[in-house]
Amino acid sequence: MVTADELGQLLQRVGRHDRQAFAEVYQATSAKLYGIVLRILSRRDIAEEVLQEVFVKIWERAADYDSSKASPISWMAAIARNRALDEVRRKLPVAIEDYPEIQDYASEDETALAATMRNEDGRRLAECLQHLDPERRQMVLLAYCDGFSRDELATRFAQPVNTIKTWLRRSLAQLKGCLGS
Amino acid sequence: MTGDEDLDGLAGEYVLGTLDADERAAVAARRLREPALDAAIRGWENRLVPLIESVAEVVPSEDLFPKIESRIENSIVQPRSATIIDLRRQLNFWRGAAIATGTIAACLAIAIGAQQFRFKEKTPNLVAVLQKDAASPAFLVTVNVENRTMTVRPVAAKNESGKSYELWLVQESLGAPKSLGIIDEEGSASHPTLAAFKPDVIKSATYAVSLEPEGGSPTGQPTGPVLFAGKLIPAN
Repeated sequence: MVTADELGQLLQRVGRHDRQAFAEVYQATSAKLYGIVLRILSRRDIAEEVLQEVFVKIWERAADYDSSKASPISWMAAIARNRALDEVRRKLPVAIEDYPEIQDYASEDETALAATMRNEDGRRLAECLQHLDPERRQMVLLAYCDGFSRDELATRFAQPVNTIKTWLRRSLAQLKGCLGS
Repeated sequence: MTGDEDLDGLAGEYVLGTLDADERAAVAARRLREPALDAAIRGWENRLVPLIESVAEVVPSEDLFPKIESRIENSIVQPRSATIIDLRRQLNFWRGAAIATGTIAACLAIAIGAQQFRFKEKTPNLVAVLQKDAASPAFLVTVNVENRTMTVRPVAAKNESGKSYELWLVQESLGAPKSLGIIDEEGSASHPTLAAFKPDVIKSATYAVSLEPEGGSPTGQPTGPVLFAGKLIPAN
């Protein structure tokens, strides 16, 4: 397990186009980043293509990484999620029945969520999510982890899209208040 | 507050991923010129990132890293050669002389041919000078049609912080413009992908550079202004 500090140092070296450091960053983060993009994109072929682009971008932009603004994994996860979300939003929806193995949506079990959190920030976030309505908590998780759009959430929760938007914004505001930042 | 005036809500939804493609593109563009929105997005990224702990790791195919390595090999910065520095000096001279449209392109093409002969480099077949007008060439694109390889070098393009230059191939038969990648700070295109195009398309296309959000167009199509464009002409 590579620590955040070590990962930050590796990214600095990648910023100087150090290929060995890049291989170590890949080794340390590819399974997590692939898990993230695969969960959003559902299809291995598309997810692997996107993951390639994500690592090319990490290679190209590592010199811009600023440790005062984000942890290394937060910075890399943002690149991966943005790329995956852009991809999933511009594509026609995938027929979920074609890919039954990926119907592994965000866990309904919030105690499990809290247990997965390794650090203090994660435990606080899990605790604040507990204060949301179960349905609204589920929406946040389906959006963040599974890449659900407002339309998809509207279908799943049988609500108008505008209601979903209102709920999401309220949930976000409530989370932010709870996290105290 | 409602709608887009709710900056923090918009940033939060951008990070959650619930915006549609157009909204995402609009936010990605706005954050470049709105530091408050950019900061709000970073805030949400940092707030929500612990959720990735709940996403199961999946090991990608073994052949994926070699593929990534071969992509970045194309993007490794090549040191600026004496050729380009010489060209820049000559360019400044030409600019001062205010040479008319087209002449600069021809001069540059001849100069490249001559310089490369002198340095015993492989002579590229074709060169495009991407410019806004005759007095402001910004990039040189050299293309070897036979190998379908390409290099991009800056002449007078200035880096804009928080933005990226993206190179596009524009040709009728392609329909929409096709991205050839981001031109990095050193002027190399990130991963030129001419291999996917037919030689006659490569030769007849217009090469255009647009100014995009950092890291490239969020939509796969030019979203920013097209600043420079040019077509290939023989270099020797």
